[in-house]
Amino acid sequence: MDKCRINIAVIEPSAIIYEGLSNILLQEGCSHYNVYHFDSIEEISCEIPTGKIDLVIANPSFAKDNIKTFHSQKRTGCPVPWVALIYSFFEREIVELFDAVIQITDSREVITRTIQNLISLNCQCKSESKEQLTPRETDVLKHLVQGLSNKEIADQLNISIHTVVSHRKNIVQKTGIKSQSGLTIYAISNNINDYRILYLNSFFDVAPTNKSLSNIASPKYLLLNL
Amino acid sequence: MYQTKKTFIKPDMKMSDLIFENPSLLLMMEHFDINIAVRNNTVVQICNENHINHELFIAIANLYNGFNITNTENISRPDTESIILFLKNSHRYYLDEKMPEIRDCIGSLYAKNDNPEIRLVEKFFDEYSQEVKEHLDYEDIVAFPYFSYLTNDDSNSKSTKFSAEEYRQHHTDIETKLGELKNLLLKHIPLKQDGSLRRKLLTSLFELEYDLTIHSVIEESILTPLIKKIEKQKKIG
Repeated sequence: MDKCRINIAVIEPSAIIYEGLSNILLQEGCSHYNVYHFDSIEEISCEIPTGKIDLVIANPSFAKDNIKTFHSQKRTGCPVPWVALIYSFFEREIVELFDAVIQITDSREVITRTIQNLISLNCQCKSESKEQLTPRETDVLKHLVQGLSNKEIADQLNISIHTVVSHRKNIVQKTGIKSQSGLTIYAISNNINDYRILYLNSFFDVAPTNKSLSNIASPKYLLLNL
Repeated sequence: MYQTKKTFIKPDMKMSDLIFENPSLLLMMEHFDINIAVRNNTVVQICNENHINHELFIAIANLYNGFNITNTENISRPDTESIILFLKNSHRYYLDEKMPEIRDCIGSLYAKNDNPEIRLVEKFFDEYSQEVKEHLDYEDIVAFPYFSYLTNDDSNSKSTKFSAEEYRQHHTDIETKLGELKNLLLKHIPLKQDGSLRRKLLTSLFELEYDLTIHSVIEESILTPLIKKIEKQKKIG
């Protein structure tokens, strides 16, 4: 969720090398990096789909012993960059499976640059400008907080359900809010909907129809002192 | 998986040094019903004084220091009561201390900012509190008594329909909504005269979330596997 923190997973059997590398990362990354240690590719496979890991640095010997797992790992939906940490001989074919290479003799600057290059590639898709909802996403949100289903939204906006679902995914990703009541608060704060209608709906669980508009003159509305 | 930031706690370290480094360990000790006046005692001495398995204590203390649980082999059946005590005490902390504190903050915010968002945040939080309360009550009333019964009963009879598996499935994700609340307060809701209130509210939310996160790790990675093991020995579940 937090864009500024980069979670780096390290698979490296040598404690000395792991600690050294993680110290360099923590110092150079100006606390932007979280470094985690993993013992195997299998262990990492459980974490990557959760979206928590942004980059993996691995000793290629792990890949060498588990070419299959490694391949299937790289094929899964979440494209996470893999960096090889090299301090002994490995065949070219193995090393070429990785997106980048860190050599044991690399300076601090080179190591951080290597990582930043990979991260910035990834970060662009999460960058600031993309935090704003697009007009279409705003339309979907408007309908969403009125309690409409995906199908109803699709019909109203003349788009496919699939598109609605993907808009909803983007909304959650951009706002960090998933629940209907949370999104309602978001919509009101950002003046996306007329808050009076939403406000009423959320307190009285009024079925979201056009009738709610006429409810504004009703005693319920006055009761709320808006 | 671990994060190298704070000390990895070992039995012979001085408890006071560890608390100076990470004061949240005080809260952890409170959950264990341990007197926090630790004098010069080491971790293992404090555990012995309080009849707590030091392996269990250290596993949990290391969670507070940001390390994940590595091995639970030395946590066994006699430790169930300590774990339950710990979890029950944390429930009290959430329900009697943290949630009312957060509720008060939201109330004060509303008093200063008469705008509809805060009213909705209040409602959002009340619904959330209700969910949390139901979940914790369920653990206190259904799950924990079963676990105690299971540990203390020596017969092999299966006299109850409850099981660790059911407990695991019942486990709801009560942290997601906290995250939403933090996002709303940090990024989206415009407020005028909130002074230090919003900071206090957010800090409380972070504190609650921190302890809740550890709480669920204890349930998932220590308690559930332990109960499953006992069930297996008794051939039930």
